[in-house]
Amino acid sequence: MINVFSQLQMQAGKSLGGLCLDPQNASPGPFVLGNGDFFIEIPAAYGCSYSDLTITGAMGTAMPDASELIDKAIETGVESRMCTALKVACYYLEAGLVRKPDMIITSNSCCDSMDTLGNLMNTYKPWAEVPKFIMDAPHSFDEESYIYMGKQLRQAVTFMEDVFGRKMDWDRLREVCVLSNKQDQLLLEFQELKKAVPCPANPDFSRLGFAYDRWTGERISPQITDWLEQLISATEQRVKDKLGIEGITEKVRFLWQELAGTWPPVELWGRLQQELGAIVIMDYMSFGTLTPIDLTSEEAMFTSFGKRFLLEDPMNRQCLHTTDFFCNDILQIVKDFKCDAVIIPAHIGNRDTNSRLKVVREMCREKGIPCLVLGMDIWDKRYMTPETAFDRIKTFFETTGLI
Amino acid sequence: MKSGIKSDSFEKFTVIAGSIMNPSVQECKDGGRKVLGYTCSFVPEELIIAAGMLPFRIRATDSESAGRADDYFESANICSLIRHTFGKVLNSEYDFIDGAIVGGGCDGNRHILDNWEKSPAKIAFLDRLFIPHASNNLTAEFFLGQLSGLKSRIEGYFGVTITDEKLWSAIRLCNEVRELQRELYGLRLSDNPPITGSETVAVIVAGSSMPKEEYRDDLKKLLRELQEVQVPEKKYSARIMIVGPGHDDTSMSDIVEELGGLVVNDLTCFGGKVIFGSVKEDGSDPLKALADYQVLTRPFCPKNLSAHPVINKEVFDKSKEFKVDGVIGQVFLCCETWGGEIFILNKELRDAGIPLLRIERECTADSTGQLRTRVQAFIETISGGAL
Repeated sequence: MINVFSQLQMQAGKSLGGLCLDPQNASPGPFVLGNGDFFIEIPAAYGCSYSDLTITGAMGTAMPDASELIDKAIETGVESRMCTALKVACYYLEAGLVRKPDMIITSNSCCDSMDTLGNLMNTYKPWAEVPKFIMDAPHSFDEESYIYMGKQLRQAVTFMEDVFGRKMDWDRLREVCVLSNKQDQLLLEFQELKKAVPCPANPDFSRLGFAYDRWTGERISPQITDWLEQLISATEQRVKDKLGIEGITEKVRFLWQELAGTWPPVELWGRLQQELGAIVIMDYMSFGTLTPIDLTSEEAMFTSFGKRFLLEDPMNRQCLHTTDFFCNDILQIVKDFKCDAVIIPAHIGNRDTNSRLKVVREMCREKGIPCLVLGMDIWDKRYMTPETAFDRIKTFFETTGLI
Repeated sequence: MKSGIKSDSFEKFTVIAGSIMNPSVQECKDGGRKVLGYTCSFVPEELIIAAGMLPFRIRATDSESAGRADDYFESANICSLIRHTFGKVLNSEYDFIDGAIVGGGCDGNRHILDNWEKSPAKIAFLDRLFIPHASNNLTAEFFLGQLSGLKSRIEGYFGVTITDEKLWSAIRLCNEVRELQRELYGLRLSDNPPITGSETVAVIVAGSSMPKEEYRDDLKKLLRELQEVQVPEKKYSARIMIVGPGHDDTSMSDIVEELGGLVVNDLTCFGGKVIFGSVKEDGSDPLKALADYQVLTRPFCPKNLSAHPVINKEVFDKSKEFKVDGVIGQVFLCCETWGGEIFILNKELRDAGIPLLRIERECTADSTGQLRTRVQAFIETISGGAL
């Protein structure tokens, strides 16, 4: 019998599985291409397709021919140790496989690889005449920075209006933001339910929900709200019944201190759950700190967008800010979600994480949190195979007495 | 390669560029002048000079090992320039500085500050300056706010007052120095210049490692000497431009010039990018003049998404002006920003018929054997086997 969780997984999986080279948020309107996961409420309200080429690259690494694709990406000759997902995105672009956009919007967030992709998009010869808008994401998180980012996002809207000759419908934008706030609230409710011991549902639904909500054609639609409400209702019931994830005896809860990547959730996490009872209770795609969009004025709305962009986008939160900020998030997650351990994949393309390893290790040691650093490529399983990763994690849990 | 310059000024610059601590800095310290280090060429030296301090560009000169820095930075995935620079800090070679400003250009650079703050080498004044990643009026305005905050923190911590008058004076001084440095670069327009590319790197590096007035005077003296020198006739097999990140090491220029080529220009953070243009002196707000210069005028690091057209123009203009036969695009491993930039430039230069050799390397000089082979093949190719 197919339970509600399986149905929800299939529904979101179907939408996400269709993503790759097609525009992610397909819409009959013009097509805007970016190098980051921007303010999706704006294209949704404006009625245009929006694709993040980074996501396109990441999705590519989940394709059956991923290894071949990654090799081709390496052959393009962009920096050899660049993040693989971004390298694949560069390949898609250089190979002429990406649909020509009507407008390009790029920013430096969140990492140097994103900049490279942005630079390639902005200088790609066949798109020379495509209008381009560039934003600066500061490495700071204070009101001044949110206002600054908000101003740039507001300028981006004006730019869109100028390029496409059509004004933004501000009432529509408010409606979209109301719905978006509701969905974010639901995502946070699910996150809250994950704090229960044992964890009542596969914690990876946070990530799935986030991706479904932001990257698919159903973005910010009542369909997503319905999906999230069903998820929460089914999870609440399991919390009431004190049930854990079906078929799993929970023994270890840990923080996967990185984005999930493509192969780890499929080829590693499930096996860790099944064989060791070890659950990735939180990862950095799932971790949400979504402040509701302030709808009291246009300025407040854009400052909210700015805040979300700088502070609440998963990768920006992970990469743009200071090590202290980064460490505080780890401690907060470990505390709130009752994590027994922290596993740092140390994804090879993530310069930020790889620049903080000593400080994070020492902090974990000081706080008595078992911590394992892997050193893998979350988009290319050839760098560290699923078997090796599994063995190392298993040994780590055994030596720390967690299993 | 050595041109055979006989000059006290040049000898002095060579000594200063070849080490971290140097006699000029020691003299400043002995005289009670404070030294403020900085890690990125987008930190305006003018602000530090106006505070009565000596700006000193933090670098990794002669580093053979990143040492303890590799505990902080994962060695396989972080640019060696960052690791080796921080290694110098941990190795107490920057103990003479009284504070440091870390420019948040690239990801690695940003984390020097984070790690510095957590390390035994921590010093009381460690500050950061966010570098904009787009060049327009709004980002220049935001950068002005950043500069203003930094100015206040310097004033507060060191108990100094940075007046507009002092800032204008520092701007005039730095503009004059940049102009002299451009004059030095101009000498290599000649087919048979009195100074080589390798020697020029040393002169420019020294400029960010000693008091500016002293440097200006020594540079003027050197220029006079170079203008008067009788240069023996020499035929170079290829005129090369080097493009890439900041590197104070001369190994690439040395290789080119030992192989019979000549480095006639560059666009690096210890070269063409720091001598570019001038800060406007006719405005009412010196801090705004500095912000506008840094954000709107200079060829930015490719971390800035508006940078490419300016970099492209500069490379093409200088290639033409200096009769460049080929460009060497030098990238440190794990530097995506320059890796991407050289990738783009390569396509554009190829279309224009200008050959580019792309080199991915570590910042240390220990891999020069392989580099030599590749550079030799490149020079042979572009010079039609004239070696």
